[in-house]
Amino acid sequence: MFLIRRGLALASPGFLLVLTLGFLPLAIILVWSFWTWDPATYWIRPDFSFDAYAQIGEAGRWHVILSSLGKAALAGVLCLLVGYPAALAIHFVASRPLAFVLMGAFTVPFFTSYLIRAFSWRLVLGRNGLINSWLLDLGLISEPLDWLLFSNFAVMVGLVASYLPFVIFPLLLSMRRVEPNFIAASQDLGAGFLRTLFTVIIPLTKPGIFAGFLFVFVMAAGSSTEVQMLGGAGASMISIIINDVMRVVNFPLAFAISAVVLVLLFAAVLIGNRIFGLTKLFEDFK
Amino acid sequence: MKRSGRLTPPGAFSRRQFSAMSLGGLAAFAASPLMMRAAHAAGTEIAFWGTGTLDIGDAWAQTQSDIGLSVNFTDNGNDPGPIVARLVAGNANAVYDLSGLQGGAEKELAKQGAIVPWDTSKIANWDKVWQWAKDIPYLTDNGQQIGIPCVVNADSIIYRKDKLGLVDSYGVIFDPKLKGRVAMEDAWINSAIFAAIYLKGAENAPINDPGNLTEDELGLVMEFLIKHKRDGQFRTFWNGWEQGVQLVADEEVDAMTGWEPIVLEGQRRGLDVAYAEPVEGYEGWGNNLLLHKGAVDRGLGDAAHQLANWIYDGFYGAQLALSRGYVVPSDKNTEWAAGNLETAGADQVKSVVDHVAKKFSGKVYWQNTRPDNFQLYEEWWQKLRNS
Repeated sequence: MFLIRRGLALASPGFLLVLTLGFLPLAIILVWSFWTWDPATYWIRPDFSFDAYAQIGEAGRWHVILSSLGKAALAGVLCLLVGYPAALAIHFVASRPLAFVLMGAFTVPFFTSYLIRAFSWRLVLGRNGLINSWLLDLGLISEPLDWLLFSNFAVMVGLVASYLPFVIFPLLLSMRRVEPNFIAASQDLGAGFLRTLFTVIIPLTKPGIFAGFLFVFVMAAGSSTEVQMLGGAGASMISIIINDVMRVVNFPLAFAISAVVLVLLFAAVLIGNRIFGLTKLFEDFK
Repeated sequence: MKRSGRLTPPGAFSRRQFSAMSLGGLAAFAASPLMMRAAHAAGTEIAFWGTGTLDIGDAWAQTQSDIGLSVNFTDNGNDPGPIVARLVAGNANAVYDLSGLQGGAEKELAKQGAIVPWDTSKIANWDKVWQWAKDIPYLTDNGQQIGIPCVVNADSIIYRKDKLGLVDSYGVIFDPKLKGRVAMEDAWINSAIFAAIYLKGAENAPINDPGNLTEDELGLVMEFLIKHKRDGQFRTFWNGWEQGVQLVADEEVDAMTGWEPIVLEGQRRGLDVAYAEPVEGYEGWGNNLLLHKGAVDRGLGDAAHQLANWIYDGFYGAQLALSRGYVVPSDKNTEWAAGNLETAGADQVKSVVDHVAKKFSGKVYWQNTRPDNFQLYEEWWQKLRNS
């Protein structure tokens, strides 16, 4: 009991900080989304209204919100498809020094700014970029491929490249929880690699899979640079439409879009936790 | 009881010394706004909140020797919405004395009481300011000078001369033969007016002022852009200097609407790019000086007028012409350059000034960051994005 009290006392500044810096702004956004913009004061006034939420349905904003979440989900899935084998190799195959080097290699993208990362893809995917030059040199194409850049393909490349490291680390965390005895037992019973992977390892690493997906999904949903730098004419994301409406001082609409996205993201977390048992990831820490 | 028997190594501080220093530091930190306010009150410093292009960096030190004022320049981000909101409802008036803002929002700011009119009789160089710059429509309201022009230029089309020959119309942007090889800026503030200038000039569309479209005119212009976007006309909508340069330098597009410095950068990289002189007219833009009400309340009105006069006095204009190719609309730039710079520098200033002045001898429609239907512009821009 003493330890619990002491622990709570120690943790309380952290909790307070999270409540103040994390939840308070979210609560304010939620409340202000129901207020009305007052042209006389250039600020919002507390006239309760659903106007801002109604405006989300106009000018195709819903489409942007849903397509942003779709792009973010696809980026999450692609990151998992690339990241899971990598994490598997780091945890189960690589020696300790090699695992260390590989984990370090996955953090390399963070050595530079997200802006430079996205910009560099323009130099790789452009008409005169590396890929088109190679394909032309090899005689595989006669004209540069325009769709490599300024397209949804380019956006996805940018998102996956930026956020891939975020799936690796939760996956490694969850793979640490897989008892080597389970794998040995599976092999003793005659299961090959694929069968062991699909019937033992993947089910046991579900919380890590979901945590990795969630990291990428949330960050990709809030990204804008990759879309603005690599997307086609007028390509949009949630943060871009929020920026656009802030530009014309439509604050309640910006708050309403943020509130809707927050609710959708929280719902995704809760549903995912229910299905994949995210909390199991942290059982070791109890 | 001995309070301190510990030996302190040379250069280290005792706890008491450290406490005294900390308290002193805290007191100095707490007093710094008061000291800044005192500097403000003494009229020695002007806090200038402007678009980054107006900044001359270390050269601001010249104001101290010329007029005994120091300038503390802060970049305002050049996004009109947040700037206007911060001036009217935020703390910008309490923190800054002057704004340098893209033209269009002046009347709204004056109506809201965020800015106050200039007294041009206190600006000795006012008669040296070019008349057409004084006539920019947003700068006067009820006969009062609510803004004064600081930097002006006019924008049009950047194009690959080696591929397209001579271009003299915005028609090139909408030419189906160049499908997927053209771009526009990802901002309705510039792209809507360019399309409107084209429709008015080349297709006789019923448009009165391309910089301030009515609801019907806006619908016409944006439907036109939407149609071309759906047809795959645009390679992309570009954002910012680096992206603009990259589109041209890496031959992603053959033509795009944009800023003249991108042409200069392309030429510097050895590309045969040029800036069009469109028959339909240029998009003129002015970055204007606005006097904050807060500055006058703090007793800095005269100092702000002194600084405005200095801006027209030649040094500042020559600096901007040499560093960015932008022009302060005053006769004194070339005079100052001729008297103070080497021949090459003076010639360069003259060339930049003459080049910009020539643009304004033709048809120019003024960019407007705050058209009457500005929220409708944003709605249409979303429709364009999603089309």
